[in-house]
Amino acid sequence: MGNLKKKKHILFIAPGFILYTIFIILPIFYVFYLSVFEWSGLGEMKFIGLENFRTLFFNERMAPTMFNALKNNLKYLLCVWLIITPFQYLIAYLLYIKIPAYNYIKFMIFMPYVISSAIVSFFATLLFDPNIGFLNKIFEWLGHPEWQSAWFGDPDRAFKLMIVLIIWQGAGSGIMIFYSNLMDISRDIMDSCRIDGCNEWQRFFRILLPLSLPSCASIITMSTIWALAIFDMPFILGGANGGVNGCLDFANMVFYRYTFGSGLNGKSNLGFGASICVLMFVIMLFVTVLQNKFLSKFEYDM
Amino acid sequence: MKRKQSGEILSPTAKLARAVLAAVLIVYTLTTVFVIGITLLDSLKTKGDLVSNFVGLPRALSFESYRKILIEDIFLKYFKNSIVLTVCGTAGCTFIAALTAYGISRYDFKGKSFLTAYFLVGMMVPVQVSVLPLFLILKKIGLLNKLPGMILVYMAGISMACFIFQKFFKTIPVALEESARLDGAGDFTIFFRIVLPVCKPVIVTMALITAIQEWNDFYMPMVLLGNKNVKTLTLAIYQYISQFTRYMSESMAAVIITLIPIIILYFVFSSQIVEGLTGGAVKG
Repeated sequence: MGNLKKKKHILFIAPGFILYTIFIILPIFYVFYLSVFEWSGLGEMKFIGLENFRTLFFNERMAPTMFNALKNNLKYLLCVWLIITPFQYLIAYLLYIKIPAYNYIKFMIFMPYVISSAIVSFFATLLFDPNIGFLNKIFEWLGHPEWQSAWFGDPDRAFKLMIVLIIWQGAGSGIMIFYSNLMDISRDIMDSCRIDGCNEWQRFFRILLPLSLPSCASIITMSTIWALAIFDMPFILGGANGGVNGCLDFANMVFYRYTFGSGLNGKSNLGFGASICVLMFVIMLFVTVLQNKFLSKFEYDM
Repeated sequence: MKRKQSGEILSPTAKLARAVLAAVLIVYTLTTVFVIGITLLDSLKTKGDLVSNFVGLPRALSFESYRKILIEDIFLKYFKNSIVLTVCGTAGCTFIAALTAYGISRYDFKGKSFLTAYFLVGMMVPVQVSVLPLFLILKKIGLLNKLPGMILVYMAGISMACFIFQKFFKTIPVALEESARLDGAGDFTIFFRIVLPVCKPVIVTMALITAIQEWNDFYMPMVLLGNKNVKTLTLAIYQYISQFTRYMSESMAAVIITLIPIIILYFVFSSQIVEGLTGGAVKG
């Protein structure tokens, strides 16, 4: 029986293994491979070494676009760390202490998570469109036309508005994960903390935060990775060219434009697109490792 | 999981602060109701009514915009495409993930821990990085711009589900399977007759999470399904809103039609969706 049992697992694993290897693992290697070639997608592939990366960083037309996009990615990542994640944690805490109507709030705050980015952007158009948008109409009606704005057409505002929309749509998932981590903290600890008479601030900073942080590390890692790969929202809101003055341009959109769009110098080069992917991949790896080093400092022995 | 508030007596200031915060959050959540409501009302206006009366009740109910997208455009086709993709992708992905996770966690073999780690890689690498190779691979095997190609890609994305299933299998005792084995049941009979039924709650939550992601997916269908005949709902909506002033009333109706299934799903299964997302389905 032991022998028979040893073979059977292959039948269970094989279908998943084959599909996963072809469509998830192989592409990662393939993209590295492609990045050292010049290739239009048809015909011969020309090996050019690191030339694609040189273009990316030093070409006078390409480099400013790329650095602007990376700057926006970094800006967004900082927003994730310093605004979105703390906001999620705060809401999770409010739900945890059962503020009035918390069940309703929990239900409603998570709802936009199931709505697609295309529709969220559509709602944004309803509210913020400079001509027919709801907000400008309201300001006109209130007799304050000076409050009106081009909103997403205004490079100073577009990024902030996008963050607001992302919070509205996506914060729910993080809130729920933080909330369930808070709920997992042992009842005994909470009881003894009450008996010892610690106040709410102490309880939050000395007990809840440190105890729930380790289990939050994985969600923070995931949101970092997704922050570096952001695409849908800025693409739909700002168009393929990344909004006014590239204020909504991100690495992934640059990749999309130069790979599936017109290409640099009107010449399609898939290898160049691949090199942008490799760059994103390396940055993700770097940031994730760095972040895990930082987060592991907070780990407690439970 | 119901827990009473720890019984402490709150000072009036703390109580007030909580009430104020709750009020702020309630107003915040009302934006959701507001935007969906406006869209619903606007979708029921005639085009003329919509332009002059963007915010407000329709002067007369009209289903013109629905008629336009359903009959004049091939919106039903997009709807069908989305359904086919989501149903096949979700069923395939969940089933394969369950199979794989079962194979890894219930059998002893060399390279077990390697495989566990191997299947996790997909969670750490967003598809955006590998979309270009996917495009080329699908082109090579002739499945680019075809629904089956997209479904295969969805079915391959088993990392998350596989991880959750493995965690779940650790919590169910092997005794049941062992006794079935003594009764002469084969490995696959055990899997289908005993293991899958026990997994039902996890299957439901995983399927819900996967289905929502696939229904809402924008980037992959945009790249991998370029043909008009295989467009999904989200792509159709994108197409409408990129020419918003021209297709204003159409986009309202399109958004409502896309929203309805997902909102119903949310109202019915919200706790399962949250559980699936937080991994709560497999916690002790």
